Amino acid sequence: MFRVSSIEDLKDLFEIVSRDVDKSRLYIVICAGTACQASGSNDIIRVAKKYILQNQLLDTISLKITGCHGFCEMGPFILTEPQGAFYHKVSTENICRIIDAVIANDYVEELLYTDPQTNEKYYKQSDIPFFKKQQRTIFSMNQEIDPIRIYDYITNGGYKALGKVFSKLSPEQVLEEVKVSGLRGRGGAGFPTGLKWEMLAKQSINSGKYIVCNADEGDPGAYMDRSLLEGNPHIIIEGMIIGAYATGSNEGIVYVRNEYPLAIKHLIIALRQVRDIGLLGENILGSGFSFDIRIVKGAGAFVCGEETALIRSIEGKVGEPRQRPPYPVNKGINGNPTVINNVETWANIVFIINLGASEYAKTGTKGNSGTKIFSLVGKIKNTGLVEVPMGITIKEIVYDIGGGPPGKAKIKAVQTGGPSGGCIPVRKFDLQIDYDSLAKAGSIMGSGGMIVMDENTCMVDVAKYFMNFLKEESCGKCYTCRKGTQRMYEILDDISKGKGTLEHLDLLEELALVVKDTTMCGLGQTASNPVLSTLHYFRDEYERHIIQKRCDAFVCKELVGAPCQAACPVGTEAWRYVAHIARGEYEQAYIAIREANPFPSVCARVCDHQCEEHCRAGTSGGDPVAIRLLKRFITDRIDPSRYKPKRTTVIKKDAPQVAVIGAGPAGLTSAHYLSLKGYKVTIFEAEDKPGGMLFCAIPSYRLPRETIKKEIVSLLDENITLKCNTALGNDITIDQLFNEGYKAVMLAMGAHKSRPLGLENEDADGVYPSIEFLKAFNLRNEQLAKGRVGIIGGGNSAIDAARTALRQKDVISVTILYRRTREEMPAFAEEIEAADQEGIKIQTLVTPTKVITTNDFFSGLECINNELGDTDSSGRRRPIPIKGTEHFIKLDTLIVAISEDSGIDCIGPARSSKIEVTDWNTVKIDQNTLLTSRPGVFAAGDVVTGPNTVIQAIAAGKKAAEMIDHYIKGEKMDQPKKHILPQIYVEPFVVELEDAWQAERIETPRKSIEKRKRNFAEVEVTISDEEARREAQRCLRCDLEFTQPQYIEKECITTEGK
Amino acid sequence: MESTLKADEKYRKNPDGIISILENVQRKYGYLPKKVLETVANETGSSLVDIYGIATFYKYFSLKPRGEHLISVCLGTACHVRQAPLIVKEFENQLKIRAGETTVDKQFSLETVNCLGACARGPIVVVDGHYFSNVNKAQVSQILKKTRYGLDRIDIKKDERIFPVKLRCTNCNHSLLDPNYLIDDYPSVRLTISFGRKHGWLRLSSLWGSYNNESEYDIPVDTIVNFFCPHCHDELIGASSCPSCNAPMIPMIIYGGGLVQICSRRGCKNHMIDLINGICVNCENRHTCSFIKPEGGVWYCEEYI
Repeated sequence: MFRVSSIEDLKDLFEIVSRDVDKSRLYIVICAGTACQASGSNDIIRVAKKYILQNQLLDTISLKITGCHGFCEMGPFILTEPQGAFYHKVSTENICRIIDAVIANDYVEELLYTDPQTNEKYYKQSDIPFFKKQQRTIFSMNQEIDPIRIYDYITNGGYKALGKVFSKLSPEQVLEEVKVSGLRGRGGAGFPTGLKWEMLAKQSINSGKYIVCNADEGDPGAYMDRSLLEGNPHIIIEGMIIGAYATGSNEGIVYVRNEYPLAIKHLIIALRQVRDIGLLGENILGSGFSFDIRIVKGAGAFVCGEETALIRSIEGKVGEPRQRPPYPVNKGINGNPTVINNVETWANIVFIINLGASEYAKTGTKGNSGTKIFSLVGKIKNTGLVEVPMGITIKEIVYDIGGGPPGKAKIKAVQTGGPSGGCIPVRKFDLQIDYDSLAKAGSIMGSGGMIVMDENTCMVDVAKYFMNFLKEESCGKCYTCRKGTQRMYEILDDISKGKGTLEHLDLLEELALVVKDTTMCGLGQTASNPVLSTLHYFRDEYERHIIQKRCDAFVCKELVGAPCQAACPVGTEAWRYVAHIARGEYEQAYIAIREANPFPSVCARVCDHQCEEHCRAGTSGGDPVAIRLLKRFITDRIDPSRYKPKRTTVIKKDAPQVAVIGAGPAGLTSAHYLSLKGYKVTIFEAEDKPGGMLFCAIPSYRLPRETIKKEIVSLLDENITLKCNTALGNDITIDQLFNEGYKAVMLAMGAHKSRPLGLENEDADGVYPSIEFLKAFNLRNEQLAKGRVGIIGGGNSAIDAARTALRQKDVISVTILYRRTREEMPAFAEEIEAADQEGIKIQTLVTPTKVITTNDFFSGLECINNELGDTDSSGRRRPIPIKGTEHFIKLDTLIVAISEDSGIDCIGPARSSKIEVTDWNTVKIDQNTLLTSRPGVFAAGDVVTGPNTVIQAIAAGKKAAEMIDHYIKGEKMDQPKKHILPQIYVEPFVVELEDAWQAERIETPRKSIEKRKRNFAEVEVTISDEEARREAQRCLRCDLEFTQPQYIEKECITTEGK
Repeated sequence: MESTLKADEKYRKNPDGIISILENVQRKYGYLPKKVLETVANETGSSLVDIYGIATFYKYFSLKPRGEHLISVCLGTACHVRQAPLIVKEFENQLKIRAGETTVDKQFSLETVNCLGACARGPIVVVDGHYFSNVNKAQVSQILKKTRYGLDRIDIKKDERIFPVKLRCTNCNHSLLDPNYLIDDYPSVRLTISFGRKHGWLRLSSLWGSYNNESEYDIPVDTIVNFFCPHCHDELIGASSCPSCNAPMIPMIIYGGGLVQICSRRGCKNHMIDLINGICVNCENRHTCSFIKPEGGVWYCEEYI
């Protein structure tokens, strides 16, 4: 056995080892860190071995099985050497192809990592943005070595630092190096490591000093210590030997969590190997210095990460912290001086010695030297472990390395420091990450967990989650911690269930400060951070829970019920009709839809389907149920006239009269519900037919005219009088209406004026605001677009204008110009896709700068190219014009579709009738009552909000009807908000397991491009019976929790551990 | 009961060993039976109160018996924001128990854990040591179904990870395969074994990944067995020991290169296949050398979990 017993032996060993390094040897490096194992790397390893053995490739290629590389989201992955190619999400089917490619010095193109945003293919791992922007000093070694082969570690420069220390440096010199390096404890508190060591070294006793590696990584959401121990145990051991040498201690302990079996296993193997070689044990390298390390396994208690509790746990006792001083460095394990450092701190030691302290200190900022590993997890595209220099901003980590949000939901905050840390909101993302600035922002560095949260994360729920964690983990020694965390949890729980009051917030704050001030150990002192930081930065969210009884993230289940229902502005029980469809009960499904929404067929085509955005099947990592398509399926089968709404009052002759201005979705809806309540309603419409924006703006290929007509006819009854060609201001005034005996007036004229670009010559012939363009065609069949058509904007209005233009007879080509990227276009993704398919060019990252005219006729646009700059507060990257890229685009027609407002023509008369208007040219109302500044006059729909979705207008109309009813009856209008939970039980359809398993979302079927491109026939087609039922069976039935008889009684507890 | 303590003899007088002793008891029984705790108290001289204090303080210990399968759902922060609570709820609904409870038929225990450290792939569910990543609500029933079927159960005929290895003796280079005695339809690996006073044959499946074997004797679980080559009668023994149970590992050469090692303890499933490329296999010091060139080491940890 090769045993080293002197410095010379060690040098010989390095010599022998380096002689055998063959840099040209082909390697397949397979990551077998815990995350990759969870995604199947063990199977890949087996198949690779099988392939190598069966094809006798042993002499050609080698396998290297390593610990975590950090890019865990993309696992399992494979790195090839010496090529450096990076294959992600490898499966057992394609591993053999990769082996063949490596041998042929080739690539398997389609398996290479491709950036999802730019579609760029990367041939080398080091070029991938996730890796390129990091500074991987400590972590990069993980991919070089097989953790159970000491030999791998040595060939990569392992134990060189140890050799240097034992041959050249005295313990005092080592201490000096560590002090000069400025290394601070990576466990979170940031105490200078050199100082701590010096105190231990100064302890006068000569034996019985301990050094401890704290690997009790209890912070939920952090796993860098685990990955280091699993992937490179020797670096920890080497650091500890150096530390022991510097401080004169003879016993080392690694305190590691029992939940990390692989880390323990690799550590056992590594320790055995080091002992065999002779670098641990008696008389190391003939220096007379003896040191050994043993492993102590933690048995699952978060508080044991606190040093005094950890010491008691090592002593075999209950892990309760004790008062400090005396500090462990004076009285630690069994009363002996003890130094405790975090795993990552120990790993840094080797680099300090190898590089030299002053060189090491060049990385990072002053007072915060070196790199730090973060575990970047949660709602982020590139989850994994990242190593960055101290002082980098949160923004750089989240957007540049992490790649921003994984879906459409915007990032809201990051949580650092685990249960002891706090949440930092997106507006503070310019914060430099170091110990001091994080503490100032109300969080802590902690061991490096960085959990990204987006709009689907509820901050009240996050605070509640941490409080639940802390109340479970509080050891109970300090009364204020034990009871305080419990009470804070109860208050938060009440708020999350809609039972909170505003006084609770003050109480919560007071309680948090008391717990902070009156507890003994780190756990208690920082336990308030999650509450205090969320209260500080997200107070509005707490208030929404308390006042509005709404959880905008759709998390707090007592407020949300079924997310699809809660997300729908009119509260459609989507789960209910989906459940009926799954059972084949189509008529009942129609009733469920129609009860909440008077425009089911319209919404089945043009709704922005918030229900799908929040569908749990989608937010929990799959595709949402295609709810709108299912609605379409039902409304295509059932005629609207089949539904007879329930009337609450019989119609009387002397019923009060209400005037509704505008026969758009908002106006018609309120008229309908007012009629049901027994009122006589007159609708005044300026155009010659009802429908409003449904007719004017939405093209018939999306919404056939027949559909609108049928639905409107079914709503009009003997209580409703419709007067077309009657415009407010021109034909009637509000004063007049009140004089005629109307008890209330409801304004729902919509928003009919497009916003201008604000450029010169914008009024030239050939330039049209999008609404004007669409109206001209939809109402009067005038085809204004000619030749080459340009559209400015990226919203639905722009796409509608573009697709309508394409269908006009004199049009040659249509180009949409948008200033950001396609991903950021606010239009529905399916609309953009359809436009693309039809041959509309979408030019992104351009801004028009000049409207060019020839003889007063529009002839083209001067544009400038943009690049994406910094992320703005909305989490999107700002378009920044690139100087010198101005260019001319020849066009014949320009349609401006930036946005719409209600415009002076509608508001003018309203203003003169004492109705206040906002700065954005919309009618000012009381949000709760929908009353304008004039008593008896209500307003709803686009005239209030500016251009908005159809379903929002319907919801506003529905609410207006209710408010007008209260007003006329003289009832209190501002009634407390009720939240509605699912109530009706629909027995679930029993699905065969195999069928439901990974069933994919059905795609929206469309007519073929040739059949639809140039005409106005409806593009989307309906799905078959079988398809509809299958899709409906994908529903997760969130409602059952509230409706299923057996669960109602039982309030399930999710997190009470034991 | 007695045996548990005997194995921990070295800890007896050492109070910091109590946690280790309890860990062993927990691992062996799946919980801490009262009678065993009483024995531990007697043997170590600690008071039963202290032992219960420890047993109730640390989450790893359970005072109630657990079911055959342990389902742990991670509720770490990263899993939490990715809707792990819904997964817990789904398990609760399907198993008709709450977290922390065991089903009436003693098949499943459900527990939540604070963090399993695989945050990037959350939500994570671990069933009997098998990791499931990015779990969604619809997968829950599938996980239960797989567990009922047997997570370790593999279809030897169809599984692509299974393949035959031709094994030879590390000493005399003779083939160990016995074409006349088939296991899993392949020639078995014939070895001579001895334990206690017994001496006889053992035949292993030559399929890598199959644990099937037959022997002249019933070998009691936990027994460390000595292995010999049936041709040269030399003992098959390597330089390394099992990382899980510390028993010696038994090396055998693969035809064409590489080394297979199996743990010599009955019941321990550790086995490894090490693809070294020739030099060490022929070296006369291979038994004693702990890091051989150029691949180094005899460790090539196959079964990481």
